[in-house]
Amino acid sequence: MNFTYFLFFICIIVCTMIITYWAAKRSNTTNHFYIAAGSLSGLQNGMAIAGDFISAASFLGIVGAIALNGYDGFLYSIGFLVSYLVVMFFIAEPVHHLGKYSLGDVVCSRFPSNKMRFTMASGAFLISILYMIPQLVASGLLIRLLLNIDYSISVMIIGSLMTVYVVFGGMIATSWVQIVKTVVLLSGTFLLSLIVFSRLDWNVSELIAKVSANTPLREQFFMTGQLFASPVELFSLQLALVLGTAGLPHILIRFFTVRNTIEVRRSLVSATWIIGVFYMMTLVLGFGTVAFLGYEKLVASDATGNLAAPLLAGEVGGDFLLAFISAIAFTTIVAVVAGLVISATTAFSHDIYHHIWKKGKSTEKEQLRAARWTALGIGLISTLFALQLENINVTFLVSLTFIVAASSNLPVLLLTIYWKRFNQTGVIAGMVCGITVSLTVVLLGPNVMNPDHGWILKEAIFPLYNPGVIAIPSGFAAAILGSLLSAKKESLNDWQRFAIFSQTGTGRERP
Amino acid sequence: MGDELQKLVKQKRMLVMLLTMFAFLFYFGLPLSITFFPEIMNAPSPIMQISWAWLYAFLQIPMTWVLVFVYYSVMKRFDRLLKKLVQGDAA
Repeated sequence: MNFTYFLFFICIIVCTMIITYWAAKRSNTTNHFYIAAGSLSGLQNGMAIAGDFISAASFLGIVGAIALNGYDGFLYSIGFLVSYLVVMFFIAEPVHHLGKYSLGDVVCSRFPSNKMRFTMASGAFLISILYMIPQLVASGLLIRLLLNIDYSISVMIIGSLMTVYVVFGGMIATSWVQIVKTVVLLSGTFLLSLIVFSRLDWNVSELIAKVSANTPLREQFFMTGQLFASPVELFSLQLALVLGTAGLPHILIRFFTVRNTIEVRRSLVSATWIIGVFYMMTLVLGFGTVAFLGYEKLVASDATGNLAAPLLAGEVGGDFLLAFISAIAFTTIVAVVAGLVISATTAFSHDIYHHIWKKGKSTEKEQLRAARWTALGIGLISTLFALQLENINVTFLVSLTFIVAASSNLPVLLLTIYWKRFNQTGVIAGMVCGITVSLTVVLLGPNVMNPDHGWILKEAIFPLYNPGVIAIPSGFAAAILGSLLSAKKESLNDWQRFAIFSQTGTGRERP
Repeated sequence: MGDELQKLVKQKRMLVMLLTMFAFLFYFGLPLSITFFPEIMNAPSPIMQISWAWLYAFLQIPMTWVLVFVYYSVMKRFDRLLKKLVQGDAA
């Protein structure tokens, strides 16, 4: 590793450690630890949401997907962005009104019981871990490719950093690491986009001509159907993308970190602007990679295309810019995994330890201690898992997370908030069926069962790479049928008070 | 306060349903149109000769921003009305 790379990495580690030190002094109550005491402004939270959401799969994966497949690669970005409309219209405000620290709080505000809390906590825990492991594996592989550091060391560095941020700094450190990440990520991609255009004398037509000349797809690069030949696959992916975000616990708990609904809405306005602008720049970077580097060189370095952005930086800006963009990729990963650690920690220490195990009677000090130990445990276990999974292709786990979230958490949250006849049986049926069906269709699908490169070297039983179109309706159907077929009903009066409170935050005592 | 509050919440739901219907039609219109009308979608549009498929995909970004802005603005009015109702009730 040369000196420039080393300097950038040390700079990032030092900056984030200063943030953690500052946050640690403030994280002395559970309210501060879990939700930063609701102290973030809408803009800050919007930046943190973008930092939490734009993972390595978004930054590196989408630039690569555009560079390799042209138009179809860009469709991922669209789905990720539009998904925030579902979050804003249906979920964000009610979650803010109904919950305190976790999604378990939200469902328990209508159906108070340990069973509900356990179901929601298990879902949030599973989704966060499922998302964290591929991010850690990808980070190890990426840093090995970029910096020539051993895979195990890379994973251990990222695993330790995310654990330290959360154990000592809780939500405050996590939020500010994510805010810093958003700033450097946007600045880096903006700078790189400017360099790409300046090399072409700000001429878009020349960029397009150069792209056509340097891709084996030629004019087809700009046409539809390069990645998704099957309409069902395309529709299914778009469905999972647009609905998935609204079920991701690490994104939803961010709505507890602001003080009122106006700030919740401001968070989403800022997040959608940042994410939208960012995805437009990924398009320039994807095109720029093909124009300056060419398809062959890109695929020779890494067949998945994930190194497109750093390679482009090296090509147009030399070693210094390559080091800068690599450092941004590194920050991107640590910010996302830290968000996942705090989400899994809240599910375990707040819902399971405090409410179920200690029956809500543990002291503030005990809760805080439990939260820190949980964060340490989660960091350690996921790092150990990631170390074992070096040689296994786990990238499909990222899309699996969106499918699990859209088919379990989303139906349960939506129906809890909006459906009068929904009940506890429906919650359990929706969560269990959503998770089981999505895991089953993925395990039996071509991502796992593949005669050439699958975990199971056999023909897939279920044909779709993107099984959202089956899993998501199953989760909704199970939640609805579970409610209709069970006898439990609640009084109309309770429902009306709950419905008004979930939308307005008035007419009922806050949880 | 009860009835008026319910009316207000109902109005909010109507707005959300309208915006969602528009957003979903616009969003799922993209995969459907490139699946069923690939020739038309890959043909150049009058705007800078970029194809309809690209134009439609780009438009999803401002569509999101506009809908977010509309919701944000209407909800400001909702908040004012809500505050009036709650204050009236307290008085």
